[in-house]
Amino acid sequence: MSADHAPSSGMRLTLNIWRQSGPADAGRMETYHLDGISPDMSFLEMLDVLNVRLEREGREPVAFDHDCREGICGSCGVMIDGNAHGPEAETATCQLHMRSFADGAALTIEPFRAKGFPVLKDLVLDRSAFDRIIAAGGFISANTGCAVDANSTPVAKSDAELSMDAAQCIGCGACVAACPNAAAMLFVGAKIAHLGLLPQGQPERSKRVLAMARQMEAEGFGSCSNYYECEAACPKAISVENIARLNRDYLRAGLTTRD
Amino acid sequence: MSSQSTAPTAAQNATLDSKCPQGPIQDRWDRHRFQTKLVNPANKRRFHVLVVGTGLAGASAAATLAELGYRVSVFCIHESPRRAHSIAAQGGINAAKNYPNDGDSIWRLFYDTIKGGDYRARESNVYRLAQISNHIIDQCVAQGVPFAREYGGLLSNRSFGGAQVSRTFYARGQTGQQLLLGAYQALMRQVGEKKIQLYSRREMLDVVVADGVARGIVCRELGSGKIESFAGDAVLLATGGYGNVFYLSTNAKLSNATAAWRAHRRGAFFANPCFTQIHPTCIPVSGSHQSKLTLMSESLRNDGRVWVPQKRDDDRPPAAIPAAERDYFLERKYPSFGNLVPRDVASRNAKQVCDEGRGVGSSKMSVYLDFGDAIARDGAPKIAEKYGNLFQMYQRITAEDPYHSPMRIYPAVHYTMGGLWVDYNLESTIPGLFVLGEANFSDHGANRLGASALMQGLADGYFVIPATLGSHLAGRKLPPVSTAHPAFAAAEQDVQQRVERLLSINGKRGADDFHRELGLIVWNYCGMARNAKGLDLALGKVGALREEFWHNLRVLGSAQELNQSLERAGRVADFLELAELMIVDARHREESCGGHFREEYQTEDGEARRNDAQFAYAAAWQHTAPGADKGGQPSWSLHKEPLNFEFVSLSQRSYQ
Amino acid sequence: MNNRLFALATSSIGRKALMALTGLGLIGFLVVHLAGNLTLLAGSDGAAFNSYARTIESNPLLPLAEVGLAALFLAHIVLGIRQAAGNREARPVGYRQFQSHGNRKVSTSSMLVTGLIVLVFLVVHISDFRLAARHPQGLAYMVHERMRQPLGAAVYLLGVGALGVHLWHAFQSLFQSLGLRHPRYSPLIDKAGRGLAVLLALGFAVLPVYTWVASPAKAAAKAPAESTSSAVSGPHDSSPAAATPSVTKEPR
Repeated sequence: MSADHAPSSGMRLTLNIWRQSGPADAGRMETYHLDGISPDMSFLEMLDVLNVRLEREGREPVAFDHDCREGICGSCGVMIDGNAHGPEAETATCQLHMRSFADGAALTIEPFRAKGFPVLKDLVLDRSAFDRIIAAGGFISANTGCAVDANSTPVAKSDAELSMDAAQCIGCGACVAACPNAAAMLFVGAKIAHLGLLPQGQPERSKRVLAMARQMEAEGFGSCSNYYECEAACPKAISVENIARLNRDYLRAGLTTRD
Repeated sequence: MSSQSTAPTAAQNATLDSKCPQGPIQDRWDRHRFQTKLVNPANKRRFHVLVVGTGLAGASAAATLAELGYRVSVFCIHESPRRAHSIAAQGGINAAKNYPNDGDSIWRLFYDTIKGGDYRARESNVYRLAQISNHIIDQCVAQGVPFAREYGGLLSNRSFGGAQVSRTFYARGQTGQQLLLGAYQALMRQVGEKKIQLYSRREMLDVVVADGVARGIVCRELGSGKIESFAGDAVLLATGGYGNVFYLSTNAKLSNATAAWRAHRRGAFFANPCFTQIHPTCIPVSGSHQSKLTLMSESLRNDGRVWVPQKRDDDRPPAAIPAAERDYFLERKYPSFGNLVPRDVASRNAKQVCDEGRGVGSSKMSVYLDFGDAIARDGAPKIAEKYGNLFQMYQRITAEDPYHSPMRIYPAVHYTMGGLWVDYNLESTIPGLFVLGEANFSDHGANRLGASALMQGLADGYFVIPATLGSHLAGRKLPPVSTAHPAFAAAEQDVQQRVERLLSINGKRGADDFHRELGLIVWNYCGMARNAKGLDLALGKVGALREEFWHNLRVLGSAQELNQSLERAGRVADFLELAELMIVDARHREESCGGHFREEYQTEDGEARRNDAQFAYAAAWQHTAPGADKGGQPSWSLHKEPLNFEFVSLSQRSYQ
Repeated sequence: MNNRLFALATSSIGRKALMALTGLGLIGFLVVHLAGNLTLLAGSDGAAFNSYARTIESNPLLPLAEVGLAALFLAHIVLGIRQAAGNREARPVGYRQFQSHGNRKVSTSSMLVTGLIVLVFLVVHISDFRLAARHPQGLAYMVHERMRQPLGAAVYLLGVGALGVHLWHAFQSLFQSLGLRHPRYSPLIDKAGRGLAVLLALGFAVLPVYTWVASPAKAAAKAPAESTSSAVSGPHDSSPAAATPSVTKEPR
């Protein structure tokens, strides 16, 4: 892009971005030059700026998923220079600021890649596989209205905290993206731990883990090689201890359930 | 297809029937449920309910209705129902459990909510909300929401947003996320059991009203651009608020008013649009590139002290300003509530000191929120335990360390109390169209208390709508309907034409550009403080901008693909009309109440002065130019729903 | 029931558990094997070693044990290859750039490679000592002869080194795959696993080193081009190196 659209102050960047017009398109990398970027911009605001300039030039803007822009909805997420959600730890793409990059940097921006996450357009994915895994068993069956008083079942504080640690998962898929095997073990493990650590989750514990793991495989995710890339990429720093819990619950359920 | 009207359209009636039950307020909800016709269990699966939106209200409603046996279809704009913006709520959810034994009760929660809403909410609704609040907590715990707990294993409560009792349940700073995941998981369980059909990446672009009753919706499948119609027996809108009319708000980027606005154009009244909430503890704007604002939980005000320099244009760093030269303006003006005054009061005061030239930061549009005293008192580890994640978030965004220098905050638009008018059954003025959660106007009056939005969304979805839907499904004779009904073809054509219109303007400005300009107009003239002159000016500006929009918009790409520019353009088009109604409403309400502060109507201390004699009503606006869809001039007529206060006596709010 | 067990064993988590269990069995075998090897150091002429070998070989249950051992190896290998192939399928389009942030060491990402090196070594090793005709002077002599040759020793050291690298990751990983992880014990397991990897690798490397140290003259005579000192120092360098991570880039 020509420099005359923007003041020459600010950061200059070269962006190599994956462009793909639709699910059937093979896709390719395209290069854009951008300047006038403030270090205080978020990464997505930098993409906004790029898109405004592309539109002004009559070129199609880069499609990317985003919503809350505060790291909780899990919509955003791209690979930046080979890092899921970029170079900062415990930071979703939307929370990443341009001050994390050097002036003059060349950035490679690719979608999260996995068989289970087909690309719809440019950087936009279909992560509905995660929904189907939850639908298979990632819940506690408690019909509305049948609940007993909230304080009738005490939960040890330490269990509640561990459960919450796992429940923080935002479902962004960075664990899958960063895993060399494109495994969804951390996502599934987090849900197994969240529900399995609570007394309310016990009745369905075995059924849940068997069903979720079966769906996980059916969606085409890989298996765990204990690389722990997922934990490092997770914007919520969810621990691989949850994967061990998934393994344990799964094996126990597989060996001991009667039905 | 029968052409006879199966129900009178309230739209033609001048007075609004809230259908509130009478009698002792404690018995009203019970009595109402008893009087509402039940749908025969065997018949439930014959009824098809369309639920639009999967936030707290939509997801909880869909899950519960499917559990009851209804056939449910769910539509969400996101790729997954779990991404709805309820997920971003931080602080907590109120309930009148009185677990801490500190004097709380259903009655107190009811009273606080009415008072906090500055007496512009319906008593019957609010009492019901307070009653239901306790069941919500039970339900959420049963679903596995990992609320904070004490060492004994029982639930922990905190005081929130100036409440003098500890009634707020929370899950760290991610209460909304955990509640939404609970509702989402309940929803997905029904999807797995094939009782709910889930349609994601669908944006609702119209309500289909057949023979006077809402019988379906028209959506755009965002991946392919395909226009699709769905027919059903009831339509539930749970599509959230319209805070993004300001462009900069704490709402998510996809949050929009299009579904509600399309329903409004089809006959649903829009109530109290000028009641918008500004949240005091947001991270200040850093530059013109800003795409959204980030809220930090107002629990920060429990330990942080708000101040600005006493002198104007004091450029010294905060540490160099001695205590004697600081103005802790909230503590000074409101000695009993101090930094914990309600959101609107805190926000307005922050704006006031900035307007006086005493703001801090490079933009001078922020005030300090200082944890220095709290850290000195409790130690940094204790403060980190309470607010660590918020401090980290702040530091990540601003690159400033709040442990060592005070945070800077500024108010931002956060929530909209106004919305589609609904009666006690949550039914809009279009029969068969129900509105839940933030999308309706019902329970918060002119100002919402902290930790009450989550409560209302879940109350509507889990407990209210499952009980009141029978009034429509069992109480009216609904002929079978399919998308073959001519009303569907007509609505689809409208949608199609609108999309084509947006694409064919071929002007020079992108939708976001218009949106930013609109947001600035609304923020400047219809934001934290309003006056007649400014509102009149704004009305002209918005009209002119809308005119330009329809002649100078530029949308690239086509309608038959994933086209995010096209999506945004449609939403901005609706915001351009909604903004006008907001301004009209703000102009007509010649009083100050809650989030609506008219500078002409304030006490000598600068507090909001209500005018109960003239304005103790909900203003419900009827759109009267249905053909003005594509750029023409909208117009409205006003309907008033009088608010009677039988149980709470009206008083001036005072937090001094 | 049987269907369920089959489903369990063929699921990706089940396969990993089986890999872990077979791996654990193989580690057990290695420990015993090493203990046997070390009897070479006991006597000056390898009598202890030869008698140990004879005792095992005369046990009528040996063929059964060998079949079992082969099954363990086979299962471990097949599962590993199957797993790797499935994982490759899970990402049909790769990244232009990828950066690792996990606790990945060379050992972690090279499990398949080190496993395959060990497999090749295994074939050589078995054909050398198990399938080859027994020399009248006994097994100890055969080991001695093989280790005396630089090539034989190098192959052996390579195999043993790859094994050490493999085990560096394997031990703690098998606990994770079996779901045995706890913040209090896992650091210990990590350390124990690395210790075990080093011990096994060093232990097996002792053989060639001992052979060279015990009879430097013979070794030097066989390789006159090399100086005695280098012949002695060579194995000293390479044996710990094979087992420590700093030099484990080698198998890549």
